[in-house]
Amino acid sequence: MSVRIGLYGIAHLHALSYLACLRDMAGVEVAGVWDADAARLSMAEEQYGLRAFRDRNALLDRQLDGVVICSPNAHHRRDVEAVAERVPHILCEKPLATTVEDGQAMLDVCQAAGTRLQTAFPVRFAPAVQETKRMLDAGGLGQVYSASCTNQGSMPGGWFTEPSLSGGGAVIDHTVHVIDLLRWFWDTEVAEVYAEIGYGQFHPELRIDDAGLLSFQLANGVYGTLDTSWSRPPGHYVWGNVTLELIGAEGVLNVDAFRQHLTLTHGGRSRWQPWGASPDRALMEDFVDMIRSDREPSITGEDGLKALEVALAAYGSARTGQPVSLS
Amino acid sequence: MLKVGVIGAGSIAQLHAQCWSRLPVELAGWFDIVPEAARASARRWGGVPFASLDELIDRVDVVDVCTNVTAHPEPVKAAAQAGKAIVCEKPLARTVAECAEILRVCEANGTRLFVAHVVRFFPEFEEAHRVVASGALGQPGMIRTVRAFGFPRTDSSPSARRYADFAQSGGVVMDVGIHDIDFQRWCMGEVERVFARGLLEAGIPRYDHALICLRFESGAIGHIEASWAHRKGLPRTHLEIAGTEGIVEWDSRQPGSMAWVTEAEDAPQHRTPTMDSDHPYWAELAHFLHCLESGAPFRVSPEDALMAVKVSQAVLRSIRTGRPVTLSEFQEAE
Repeated sequence: MSVRIGLYGIAHLHALSYLACLRDMAGVEVAGVWDADAARLSMAEEQYGLRAFRDRNALLDRQLDGVVICSPNAHHRRDVEAVAERVPHILCEKPLATTVEDGQAMLDVCQAAGTRLQTAFPVRFAPAVQETKRMLDAGGLGQVYSASCTNQGSMPGGWFTEPSLSGGGAVIDHTVHVIDLLRWFWDTEVAEVYAEIGYGQFHPELRIDDAGLLSFQLANGVYGTLDTSWSRPPGHYVWGNVTLELIGAEGVLNVDAFRQHLTLTHGGRSRWQPWGASPDRALMEDFVDMIRSDREPSITGEDGLKALEVALAAYGSARTGQPVSLS
Repeated sequence: MLKVGVIGAGSIAQLHAQCWSRLPVELAGWFDIVPEAARASARRWGGVPFASLDELIDRVDVVDVCTNVTAHPEPVKAAAQAGKAIVCEKPLARTVAECAEILRVCEANGTRLFVAHVVRFFPEFEEAHRVVASGALGQPGMIRTVRAFGFPRTDSSPSARRYADFAQSGGVVMDVGIHDIDFQRWCMGEVERVFARGLLEAGIPRYDHALICLRFESGAIGHIEASWAHRKGLPRTHLEIAGTEGIVEWDSRQPGSMAWVTEAEDAPQHRTPTMDSDHPYWAELAHFLHCLESGAPFRVSPEDALMAVKVSQAVLRSIRTGRPVTLSEFQEAE
């Protein structure tokens, strides 16, 4: 029996990547799409041949096994609350929400409804990241002292730069992926975070934060930094990166998670052309596997909330100029 | 021809001597508190071993101070008082107070002091600075540099003990991080505040590491990784500056202009050979001579050298206290 998935909100560009992955998977049916924005809905219908539902209840009436929510960050709570009692499995794009209160409400409503909530952290599935987890679990670096990390990217534009929809700029957008990796690597939490944040640093026309540098201390003793900046200019050879440098008592490991590419020159510029299966595909397979095997999510809503708390603490630190403790 | 005397005959002095030998100067001689070290360097590079600091200063035009950092102030001030031009290895001194005293003595005697912050002469870094200065990046918003090595000595020599003794070396922040502090100031201007974490007080022998966040007065953000926690023989340097109009990036691990595998070496090797004039230690000493002759200002001013020490000390304070340190409010402990 095929697994039936609905797309609930496609404002985040990842939705189109997820769609392509789902359509390529055997035994998966994409039942259709709902979005609050009529123009986006028409685009999905015309360019992607999706069945578009103007009425969200009409999509939810399709007896869905799961929905993928890719609405703007600030709408995640509204959307999760709308579907939690009608669909048993939800995959929600990151960041989970824009406030801790919203994130907690999402966890609560899913728990009350018996709905499984997964946070979309595809970077966990990048092969280099999976191999890193194996190396760390095997003790390959000895005791790890430090993690110097980046999740730098290009300024995404659109609603990402509208704080009322996104909750913030580069810091909320790019803190959560790497913090999730670190929490997962060591089953630990961020104990303290300090941040330097720049507004309009690369895009002076925007008033939103587009530069961020976090300095953190994990509860397991590892300290580190994370650069979340939208510092890649238009025309850069790659949209962005996830890099980690782990310093251990017995070794040093450098990871450049998406350095798995051809170099393609086309249209007057050169850029990276990724090869091989994408982490997005692995995330979709993981989500569908959860539905099929009736198991708990591998990346939970709580994982999403914990990573969000760090991003919000970073903003708090920048406001006060002091490190912020998370308890 | 100018006569050069080198004080301190350790490893960095050998590098300086090799470069002096390719410049139009006379290497007049050496002084080291270990007389045999001065004799050995004189045999290797020429010049004579001098019996005292005063004798060396008396007999030369240029004093090149290559002692360990705690032994910088004495010869630098003595040379300044004798009116000799001075090259001093970085850091200028272990404390801001000592730096200020050195600057005062040089100023009072009208002597020229060049502090050898060599990263400004590394061709990749020099070119990146040129790109920033050209305006090609627009307004720079973020600068990131990495300088990662293993502990600088594998033996138990006196110099290994000095590096390992924080009171003498200042650890990885003052020995390695100071290069990047100086380079980032050169590119981005004055530092407003710093926040850093590191292994300063972790008590791990021959292991030090720091991740430093800087905020510049311009609003730009800086990040420095300074490491003695990497593997011996696998150093890494990295450079990235992003602005409103562009980005410039470089990483020493990128394949070089030559790559090879041979029977003799069990692992793939790569290297980017450079022209003699791009040798950074040669370039900095050639620059020093050029500025002496022309009267042009040095690329690194004595105030730059003092500020590099001051920011380094602020970084150490931040690591110790876990708090950000604002430079305008920073007072060095007595």
